[in-house]
Amino acid sequence: MINLVRNEMLKLLRKKRLFVIILIIAFLVPLFTYAQFKEIQDQRKKMGTQDWRTVLQQEITDTQNRLSSSRIQDEWRKYLKIRLSQQQYYLENDIDPRAPGAPTFMRVFVENSIDLLLPLLVMVIVADLVSSEASGGTIKLLLTRPVKRWRILLSKYLAMLLSVSFIVLSVAVLSYAISGLVFGYGGWNMPLLTGFAVSGDELLTDNVHIVPQWQYILMEFGLVWYVCLIVGTLTFMLSVLLRSTAAVMGIMLASLIAGAILINMVSSWESAKYFFMVNLNLTNYISGMATPIEGMSLGFSMSVLAVWGIAGFIIAFVTFSKRDIY
Amino acid sequence: MSMKPALEVENLTKKIKRKLIIKGVSFTLYPGEVFGFLGPNGAGKTTTIRMIVGLISPTSGTIKIGGKNVRTEFTEAMKHLGCIVENPELYPYLTGWENLEHFAKMDPSIPTNRLQEVVTLVGLTNRIHDRVSTYSLGMRQRLGIAQALLGKPKVLILDEPTNGLDPAGIREMREFIRQLAREENLSVLVSSHLLSEIQLMCDRVAIISKGAVIRTDSVQNLLAEQERVIWKAEPLSLAKELLQEETEVQEGLDGTLITLYNEPLLPEWNQKLVQAGVKVKEMRTQLPSLEDLFLEVTGGESID
Amino acid sequence: MRKYTLTIVSAVSIAATLLWLFGLGWTFQDQFSSNKKFEQPKEKTESAISKKQDGTLTIFAMGDSLTRGTGDADGKGYTGYLLERLKEKSEQEVNLINTAVKGETSRGLFKQLQQSEIQRQAKQADVIVMTIGGNDLFQQGTTLESLDMNAINSKKQIYLSNVKKIYSQLRDLNKEAVIYHVGLYNPFSNLPDAKTTSSIVRDWNFQTANTAAEFENIVYVPTFDLFQLQVENYLYTDQFHPNKEGYKLMAERVASLINFEQEEKES
Ligand SMILES: Nc1ncnc2c1ncn2[C@@H]1O[C@H](COP(=O)(O)OP(=O)(O)O)[C@@H](O)[C@H]1O
Ligand SMILES: [Mg+2]
Repeated sequence: MINLVRNEMLKLLRKKRLFVIILIIAFLVPLFTYAQFKEIQDQRKKMGTQDWRTVLQQEITDTQNRLSSSRIQDEWRKYLKIRLSQQQYYLENDIDPRAPGAPTFMRVFVENSIDLLLPLLVMVIVADLVSSEASGGTIKLLLTRPVKRWRILLSKYLAMLLSVSFIVLSVAVLSYAISGLVFGYGGWNMPLLTGFAVSGDELLTDNVHIVPQWQYILMEFGLVWYVCLIVGTLTFMLSVLLRSTAAVMGIMLASLIAGAILINMVSSWESAKYFFMVNLNLTNYISGMATPIEGMSLGFSMSVLAVWGIAGFIIAFVTFSKRDIY
Repeated sequence: MSMKPALEVENLTKKIKRKLIIKGVSFTLYPGEVFGFLGPNGAGKTTTIRMIVGLISPTSGTIKIGGKNVRTEFTEAMKHLGCIVENPELYPYLTGWENLEHFAKMDPSIPTNRLQEVVTLVGLTNRIHDRVSTYSLGMRQRLGIAQALLGKPKVLILDEPTNGLDPAGIREMREFIRQLAREENLSVLVSSHLLSEIQLMCDRVAIISKGAVIRTDSVQNLLAEQERVIWKAEPLSLAKELLQEETEVQEGLDGTLITLYNEPLLPEWNQKLVQAGVKVKEMRTQLPSLEDLFLEVTGGESID
Repeated sequence: MRKYTLTIVSAVSIAATLLWLFGLGWTFQDQFSSNKKFEQPKEKTESAISKKQDGTLTIFAMGDSLTRGTGDADGKGYTGYLLERLKEKSEQEVNLINTAVKGETSRGLFKQLQQSEIQRQAKQADVIVMTIGGNDLFQQGTTLESLDMNAINSKKQIYLSNVKKIYSQLRDLNKEAVIYHVGLYNPFSNLPDAKTTSSIVRDWNFQTANTAAEFENIVYVPTFDLFQLQVENYLYTDQFHPNKEGYKLMAERVASLINFEQEEKES
C-alpha cells in the first residue's frame, strides 16, 4: 500500500499540481496582506488613533446606527445584532480580536477562504486524480496489475488526503511567513473568545471562554482541513464517475458557487441546510457568527458534511471496483 | 499438445446495452506459441482482450490465465499476464524509467534489477531517462512492452502492436515477438486486422468476425488448403480449355492461369498440355494471402 | 534531488495530517464539552491606556442623529464640519470620535455611558460635544405627538433627570474637558402650530440650560435662533433633520466657542 501511495504522490508531484497550488497561495497572500495593511492604515488616518478600542467602538456605533435604520432587511439585522453583541463582548473583556500580527492574519485569511478559495485549490488537485487516468488511458495499465481495484483507489484517496493536508499546511506557512513581513510574527498568545452560540437573533455567551490564539488557529485549521477533506472526497467521487476532468471541475465549481449564493438566500428555505455547500463555513461557529439557516450548529454542519463525505466515498469505491473500463 | 495451457478462454460473451457484442468466443494458448487474433475493425478483438485482462467483466464464460480464473482469483491471474490494450498509453510527464518503476512498485514480487533487464531487452537504454512525452510512437510501443514484461508473465497480450509503426518498425516488432516466444517460452496473443502480419508472425490463428470466432487453426493448415498453381502457357486459350476439362480454372492478371494445387494430378495435367502442343513456360505453386482465405471463410465479407 | 522532493513532501504531508487531526480533535473537545469556565484573560492585548494623547485635541461626540449627521448628504454632520473648522484653525492634530446612535434618547445615552469603552473615551477626551433630547421630545423625529402639556411635562422631567445623570457621570469621568451640549431647534416653526411648538422647545432648552449651569464647564449651545427664520432652507427633506447648510451653521457656532476656550487656555 505504501508503494501505491508513493506512486500516486510521485504522479502528483510530477504533474506540478502541488507546485501550482503553492504559487497561487504565494501570489494571493501578499495581495490580501497589502489589502489588510491598507485598511489598517486607512482606519488610522480616519480615526486619528491607533487604539483598537476606539476603532472597535466606532464600528459598534456604526453598526448600531445601521440597525436603527428601518429599511434594513430582517436577515441582515439579525446578523448585525449578533455581531454587535459579540463586538461588545470583546470590548468589555478588553480583547482585541484583530490585533495585527501574522497569526491574526492567518486566522482571518483562513476564515475567509474556508468556503471557496481553499475548496477550489483542493479541487484543482483532486479533480483529475482518477479522471486523468481514464482519459489518458493509463488506467488500463494500472488496473491490469496484480492489485485489487479498491486498493488502487484507496491509494489514490490517501494521496488525496495527504495533498489536502499539504495544501492546508502551505496556506498556514505561507500566510504566516509572508504577512509577518508586514505585521510582525508575534501574537500567538493573544487571547480570543470562543464558544458563542446563536439562538434566534440572540448571542448566547454561557459557554464563552478564552483560548490563546495559537490554539484558536489550530482548531480553525483542523476545521478547514475537515472541510477540504470532504470537498476533496466529493471531487474524488466525481473524478471516478466522470471521464472528463473539465466536467468534474465544472460540477464542483458550480456547487461551490451555488453554496456561496445560497447562503445569502436560503434563510427561509430550511431544508437547504442539508446541502453540503451551505455547511462549509465551520470556522464561523468557532468565532460565533450568525448561521445562514436557523438550527445550524457546528455539530450539525459537521454531521451533514460527514454524511456527504461518507456517501461520496462509498459511491466512489463501489463504482470503481465494479465498473467496465472501455 | 500435452502442455498445460497458458490461457484458456471459454465460451465468452459480452452484452453491452442489451446488444450482444461477443458471442461465445473460445480459444486456448499454449506456452511458446504466438497466437493471432484476426478480424476486421469492430469485430470484437479489443473487447475480448479487455475481458481477458479484467478491464471489463464478461456477461458469461470463463477466462483462465496460468490456470487462475480472472474473475475469482484476479491478483494471481494478473501475476501471469502482461498486456498492452490498444495504444501504449503511459504517463507522459514521467520518464520511461519512472513509468517502469511505477508499475514495478505495484507488484512486490518484481526484483529491482528486473527494470534494467527489460530496458535492455526492448533496447531503450539510451532514452530511458527522458520524459515519455518526447518519445516516438515506436519507443512508446517498446516501453509498453517493457512494462508488460516486468512481472515475467506467462502470457503476453498485444492489441494491434504494429498499428502506426513504419515498415522497419513493424519488422522489428515482428522479430521481437517471435524472439520472446522462442527464448522466454512466452505465449503471445497478438490481435490484428492485417493479414500479412499474422501470417508472418503467428503459429496459430483465430479468425473473428462480428463477435464470433469463425475458425481456429494453425497458419500452415489454413494456407495448405488454399495452395494454388500458377500456369504460364501459350496459347493461353487452348491451355485454359484443356485444363478446364480437369479442374476449375481462373484467369490471372498478367496472362496466367490459376488452378488448385493437387499434387498427384499435376504431372498428368502438364503432360496433357504438352501433348496438345501448348508451350508450358512456367508452372509454380503459390501460397495464398490470408485475404483469400478470409474471403472464403467469411463468405465474402470484406476486410477494412 | 527529485527523489528527495517526493520523500520530503510525503513526510511533511503525513506530519501535517496528524497536526490537523489533532486540531480537529481539539475543536471537538473544546466546542462540545459544555462546562467551560470563563476566565479573565491573564494576558491582555495591551494595557488599556486612559491617558490623553499628547499634542492632539480629541473631540468625543455622543448623542443622537444630530451628532451622527443624519440629513447631511455628505454624512459629516455638525461634528464633521466642526472637525474641519478646528483643523483649519489649530496647529494641533484634531481627532474626532463619534459614538452617536440614531434615535438615541436620554435614557439610552445614559445606558451607553455605562459601557467601559465609552467611559474610557470620555475620560480621554479634550472636548465633549453632544446632542440629546430630540428623541425624548419629538416621537422618533416626526412630530410632537400631542400638544398635551401634562404628557410633555412628564417627559421633560424624565429627560432632565437623565441629563443630570449624564452630566454628573461625564464630570466624574473627566474633570477638565468642556462639555458642549448642543440644544434643540424647532423644526416645525413654519407649521400652523408654530407658536405652541416653539414655546415648548424654548422651555425644554431653558430647563436644560439650567441643569447645565449646575455643573462646571458645561456649555449649553443654543441652536434655536439659527433655525428660527428660514427653517425650510436649513432642513433636510424629512423636514426634521438639518441639511448640510444647517449642520454648517451649528458647527460654526460650536467651533467659535471651542476656539475661544483654547485661546484662554494658552494665555
Ligand atoms: N462501450 C461500448 N459500447 C457499445 N458498443 C461497443 C463498446 N465498445 C465496443 N463496442 C462495439 O463492439 C464492437 C467490437 O469493438 P472492438 O472490440 O473495439 O473491435 P476491434 O477491436 O475488433 O476493432 C464494435 O462493433 C463496437 O461498436
Ligand atoms: Mg481494437
